[in-house]
Amino acid sequence: MPLHDTSYKHWNGVHLGLWNRRLVIARNGLTACLRNRWMRHLVVLCWGAALGVTALLFLMGQLLVADSIVVQWVGNFNPGLQTFAHMLTTWLEQHPEISVRTTQNLLFYFFCTYQMRAGIFALGMAIPVLITRDLASNAIIIYSSKAVNRGDYLLGKFATAFGLMVLTWLGPVCAAWFMGNLLAPDWRFFWHSRTVLGHILVYGLSSLSFLSLLAMGVSACASKEKSTAGLWYMWWIVGGVLAPIAEHTQPWLRHLSFNYNLDQIALAVFRLGDDLNTARNNIPVFGDMLRNIRPQTMEALNTPALSGAVASSLLMAGLAALILYKKVKPE
Amino acid sequence: MQCDMLPLVIETQALSKLYGRQRALDGVNLKVAPGAIGLLGPNGAGKSTFMKCLLQLQPISSGSAKLLGREVGSEGREIRKRVGYTPEQDCHIPGMVGCEYVTYCAQLCGLPFRAARQRAHELLDFVGMGQERYRKIDTYSTGMKQRLKLAQAIVHDPEVVFLDEPTNGLDPRGQTQILELVHNLWHAYGITVVVSSHLLNDVDQICEQIIIIARGRVLVHDTLENLKARKRGAAEVVVAERHQELQAACERRHWPCELLPNGHVKVEHQCGSLNPLLNLLHELKLAPLEIIPSPNALEETFVQALEISHAAA
Repeated sequence: MPLHDTSYKHWNGVHLGLWNRRLVIARNGLTACLRNRWMRHLVVLCWGAALGVTALLFLMGQLLVADSIVVQWVGNFNPGLQTFAHMLTTWLEQHPEISVRTTQNLLFYFFCTYQMRAGIFALGMAIPVLITRDLASNAIIIYSSKAVNRGDYLLGKFATAFGLMVLTWLGPVCAAWFMGNLLAPDWRFFWHSRTVLGHILVYGLSSLSFLSLLAMGVSACASKEKSTAGLWYMWWIVGGVLAPIAEHTQPWLRHLSFNYNLDQIALAVFRLGDDLNTARNNIPVFGDMLRNIRPQTMEALNTPALSGAVASSLLMAGLAALILYKKVKPE
Repeated sequence: MQCDMLPLVIETQALSKLYGRQRALDGVNLKVAPGAIGLLGPNGAGKSTFMKCLLQLQPISSGSAKLLGREVGSEGREIRKRVGYTPEQDCHIPGMVGCEYVTYCAQLCGLPFRAARQRAHELLDFVGMGQERYRKIDTYSTGMKQRLKLAQAIVHDPEVVFLDEPTNGLDPRGQTQILELVHNLWHAYGITVVVSSHLLNDVDQICEQIIIIARGRVLVHDTLENLKARKRGAAEVVVAERHQELQAACERRHWPCELLPNGHVKVEHQCGSLNPLLNLLHELKLAPLEIIPSPNALEETFVQALEISHAAA
């Protein structure tokens, strides 16, 4: 027999608002995702990469200081290198818009696009937890019988996917930008790299929204966890393989790969071609190295297939929304 | 049923629900006052659909419905904040432990986390779940799942709770415990309970208002007391001995009577009250263990209503 009072008690507290309830759904989804050990490892790996980029930015920043430890350390190995470093430093100090903006833009383009792979991988692991399990267990009925509706449920799940991508992709990238500039020798680094942050946010937020919606659509496709996760990885891998092949046969086929579309959008947002041209024409010694890039590659970098990528992404997002509309119902 | 003076819990006008060509609800008009309400009907009668329409789990095809005075369809969230629901089928969230699940359900209704966690434990105590609340729901037995469903339905302290076949899959002991809990919800704590069931005995034990639905139509809506009054004139007498003597005495008064296989003596005394029967027992100096008035009133009303419905169809 229980020692405490087990009778029913009424509750007279104040109910929290709708956004709070949506947040509860998002937080619950995120917690469920992070219960997976491999997911936690992936998150640690992503933040480790951010630390690496921060260290790289720190070293690059030190190159702009004439008597920095890095330059002295380089001089210990080769006095000639120290002279070269001094020369480079003088030039970089005179052209901060190139030394800071261009180099960080290039660096963060690569970091962003590579980190996106980690985000896509993480989404693949999260897909069964997003909607698939709720469909399989009829949990949609429970959600629908509470003080939330289908829209709130979907918004909460969207926030779960979005949050996961922030944790594995946008978060580490933004943190690397902030920490890298914080450790730089001059506060002006923040100012000169502000456009880079703008690129990161524009690309990151739009891609995150698109991928989150897409992942939800895939998650709602079936009620078997292996099927939905498999579909996501298959689409990603097959699309990745198909894109380079299609370039020489049917170029429109490339747009079936969401990854290819996002790469094209990244090229357009970061304006990689412009930066490479700037670097090629202005940075001494390193600029000469960039002259070896093939004209076809430069052409591809300068003219990304933006309209096709945007149209295709919108179509995919529409399809995902349609699947959610049809599949996510109480019965 | 007369309930004009009471605040209505459910109010529907020509409520209809179509699944393709199939008419699951056909012009349901109801005005239901608070209480313990039994929703009876054979399988496929439209009981669950009726509940789902009220909770907006299914869109209404035509007509209108109000729950707790609010319009279903336009104030769904506000209604569901004050309403609980236990579906017929299992529908837990996989991977969660019992107390975590109930806490989460409370939070979905707008309770802050601390209050939700506290309420979850209180409600799990109330439904009689012990340490198993810390186990994953996937490992629960049917009885535990039914208790958990009840806990999640009332964790936010609703004004009305809809229970769809709450005793399905339970053993007799489990059934009794769940029915007792449900009975207490209205009688002790004032929470209106709407129980959908095809088990007449369950409804007979806990409900005071009866709604019989068949083929999507409401056939009967009245209090159990009134229904029994309509069938008054029969009783089951439980005696420990002298069954034959009681039978003989009844026959002398021209009251048809019968010894049932369970040892009870069914007497059709054909009177509005039990007094003549009590007088007879007094004359015989026979102390009954129990007298069950109108023992099969609900069953007879149910069967009669269905027969009329079939005949009309």
